[in-house]
Amino acid sequence: MAVNPLGIDLDHYRYGFHEPERYSFKSQKGLTRDVIEQISHMKNEPEWMRAFRLHSFEVYKSKPMPKWGADLSVIDFDDIYYYIRPTEKQGRTWDEVPEEIKRTFDKLGIPEAEKKFLAGVGAQYESEVVYHSLREEWEKLGVKFLDMDSGLREYPDLVQEYFGTIVPPEDNKFAALNSAVWSGGSFVYVPKGVKVDIPLQAYFRINAENMGQFERTLILVEDGAYVHYVEGCTAPIYTTDSLHSAVVEIIVKQGGRCRYTTIQNWSKNVYNLVTKRAIAYRDATMEWVDGNLGSKITMKYPSVYLAEPGAKAEILSVAFAGAGQHQDPGGKVIHAAPHTQSSVVSKSISKDGGRAGYRGLVKVHKGAVGSKCAVRCDALILDGHSRSDTYPTMEIDEEDVQITHEATVSKVSDEQLFYLMSRGVKEDEAMNMIVRGFIEPIAKELPLEYAVELNRLIALEMEGSVG
Amino acid sequence: MAKADSPDTLGALRPEMLLSLSQQRGEPSWLAAQRESAGSLSAGLDLPSPLEEAWRRTDPQLFRWDGYRAATPPASRVDALEALPGRVRDALTLEAGTAGVVVNRNGGVLLSTLDETLRARGVVFCDLATAARDHGELLRKYRFQATLGAGENVFLAMNAALATGGLFLYLPRNVVVESPLCALDYVDHDGAAVFTHVVLVAEPGSAATVIQKCASPSGVRAYVNSAAEISVGDAASLRHVLEQDWSDTTREIGTTRARVGRDATYRSLVAAFGGETVKQFLECLLEAPGGAAEMLGVLFADGTQHVDYHTLQAHQAPHTASDLLYKVALEDQARSIFAGMIRVAPGAQKTNAFQSNRNMLLNRDARADSKPELEILANDLRCTHGSALSRIEEQHLFYLMARGLTRAQATHMIVEGFFAEALDRVPMENVRGLIEQRIAEKMGAEAPLGRVTALRALLDEVGGKRP
Repeated sequence: MAVNPLGIDLDHYRYGFHEPERYSFKSQKGLTRDVIEQISHMKNEPEWMRAFRLHSFEVYKSKPMPKWGADLSVIDFDDIYYYIRPTEKQGRTWDEVPEEIKRTFDKLGIPEAEKKFLAGVGAQYESEVVYHSLREEWEKLGVKFLDMDSGLREYPDLVQEYFGTIVPPEDNKFAALNSAVWSGGSFVYVPKGVKVDIPLQAYFRINAENMGQFERTLILVEDGAYVHYVEGCTAPIYTTDSLHSAVVEIIVKQGGRCRYTTIQNWSKNVYNLVTKRAIAYRDATMEWVDGNLGSKITMKYPSVYLAEPGAKAEILSVAFAGAGQHQDPGGKVIHAAPHTQSSVVSKSISKDGGRAGYRGLVKVHKGAVGSKCAVRCDALILDGHSRSDTYPTMEIDEEDVQITHEATVSKVSDEQLFYLMSRGVKEDEAMNMIVRGFIEPIAKELPLEYAVELNRLIALEMEGSVG
Repeated sequence: MAKADSPDTLGALRPEMLLSLSQQRGEPSWLAAQRESAGSLSAGLDLPSPLEEAWRRTDPQLFRWDGYRAATPPASRVDALEALPGRVRDALTLEAGTAGVVVNRNGGVLLSTLDETLRARGVVFCDLATAARDHGELLRKYRFQATLGAGENVFLAMNAALATGGLFLYLPRNVVVESPLCALDYVDHDGAAVFTHVVLVAEPGSAATVIQKCASPSGVRAYVNSAAEISVGDAASLRHVLEQDWSDTTREIGTTRARVGRDATYRSLVAAFGGETVKQFLECLLEAPGGAAEMLGVLFADGTQHVDYHTLQAHQAPHTASDLLYKVALEDQARSIFAGMIRVAPGAQKTNAFQSNRNMLLNRDARADSKPELEILANDLRCTHGSALSRIEEQHLFYLMARGLTRAQATHMIVEGFFAEALDRVPMENVRGLIEQRIAEKMGAEAPLGRVTALRALLDEVGGKRP
């Protein structure tokens, strides 16, 4: 428990609150065909989606648990609610949003006033999106930003065309699980040539004990369009473990650009097992900015398939692992066309016995001539009983390429500390500054309020790190 | 696994068979017992699964031995270098002043010599059969005891049960051997499986250089299972050069593990050119403060060769240093895998660990995978790794060709320069000359260029007199 000099228990202050549960529907614990049929029925889905869910469930059952990475054997899949619907209908305006949900948002620091700045707030409370607003002018431009369930209802053809094509249920066990029981998430469509210049944001939150959250996001960026989507999550602390297993699929067409930013700050009992993948066509750019601070275990490897010439990928990843945490993030880039470029920068910090690192793959297919890829992983270990891992893999089937990988692991150097302290900076503040400087290359890529939040969270995590 | 029972092929290892074979060879009873128990161990072990991370890129089935015959060792020994058969002697190029030579052919000793003054000082340098006979108690202390375990995997179990050929070096305390010691493993029994075991022991304060060569003439189909156990005592220094020149129809699976004591130094150079499929595990355990290891690799594969190198730099004590540089050049349809791990144990503070893997693809059909990995459980250290993959820069070729070199000469020069970074760190002219000769042969050139001098000569030849 971190206690600041004034004696205030910061951990309590941080996320140690939760609202009493009030749900209109809660499925039984555990997963069976009946539960899936029930979810599909409740949502009044088209037949193809029901079949997709049931097929995915079969795939899920047939896949073994992954044996690499973190230890997942402790997850009890029978002790999870796979679907909870908090309120009967979608909130149309802020006034219609239930009071207790508003209170939760306030505690998360999303004041009403922020709406004026934010493009639209798709706030996911439990498994269903309850509030959604989108600026009118974008609606006129044809930008669609809905929760996934509404997306499926209102744009069935678009959803059917792309849903499950980038991350098929066969991809991995948790993608199959999500495909079977998904609920909520976002559906974003940006028409040809439209540039959405203010980020679209959605907040996610888990609030029921033992409740799984399986949101599903599909982002479609048409030719020459641009969008920045921001996903952030915090969750209150509970005593038993929660599972979060999302799937994000992104399609960026010719000349388009998409940036997807996540600052993940789940409470430290959440298993965060997420599949995120994008496909970038000719001259398109896909950027993943991925911050991992919370959760007990995170296994998340945002990937980009560079499918046509000129496509670009950028992955920026920050991980901070404190006591009891295992951050196993990373990234994958598949160069499947000539003259494609990618860059991966990973910064990880481990402290108080935490384990953080990078696991990644760069694959260059034959014929992807002129491809370039640079991977850089830096790790900072703040004490002697923490751990850092770097597992980059490079599979290169083409000769006419430039691929580099570099990694360093170090501690905060005494020289750096001494330099700052000799200028009157206290040791803990000096340490803080060095750590902030370490993650700066990524923090500067975040929208302002997120950069502020990231720095504040890191400062909280750093509390008490100097004996 | 299925094992053939025909007397001609290697099949099930029946303990009583191992026992009687051992007795026929007049081996001490402890060795017979060790073979017997390793034989039963191997019967209970399967080939590794292709799902294991270490085996995902090389099919374990390629290392089945049951299609091979037991090798026929030489009927008798020769007592001088001059008496060696011409082909064997050609494969054995000795450094000037070599102090001892051990030649094995098809898993049995052909020649074993050692300088008399060294012998008088207690140095043992001989084949394994002689070691078992004359230095049984010494060998017993080290054979599959503390360094490699017969139960680790099926290949080591097979080796412990069957290895006949091999090498034993024992350097008594504070004995420094200035002249190099050289060993050759020659395999020309077509269709045979050879099991070789190398034990190198350097007692505290001792020093030596061991050059180990292995070769099979082209056209010979062979299977080699090799194991090397190296122990470098406190303040001892051992340089270990491995020159591998198998035929392109030879398969090898091997493990080399070195344990390095306090203030001790272990330097290895692997120069590998041949083999159809070669998989090697090269491990260095730094077990006490002040230990240092240098691991150099020069790998050149062409045709349809498949080479798979796993390296481990294990820092198990504070104040240890390791420096790894593996350079890989690939031509034609060759494929290489480099998987290097730096593992720093908790408490191994002040570790300095470096790892670098550079790959050069000379052809569009070549393929290189690189997995440089870090697992760091201490914080006060400096650890970096880097990996790069590239082809020959057209600009570099242009520069050289503009000075009158042919494209082939220019390419050859660049490849030599690529390997020079590793070879320059090996102060043995003959070894370097031989390696350069092999590179030249692979490049289709008649003679090595010898870098700078050759460059000058060539430039002079084309008329550009230079200072």
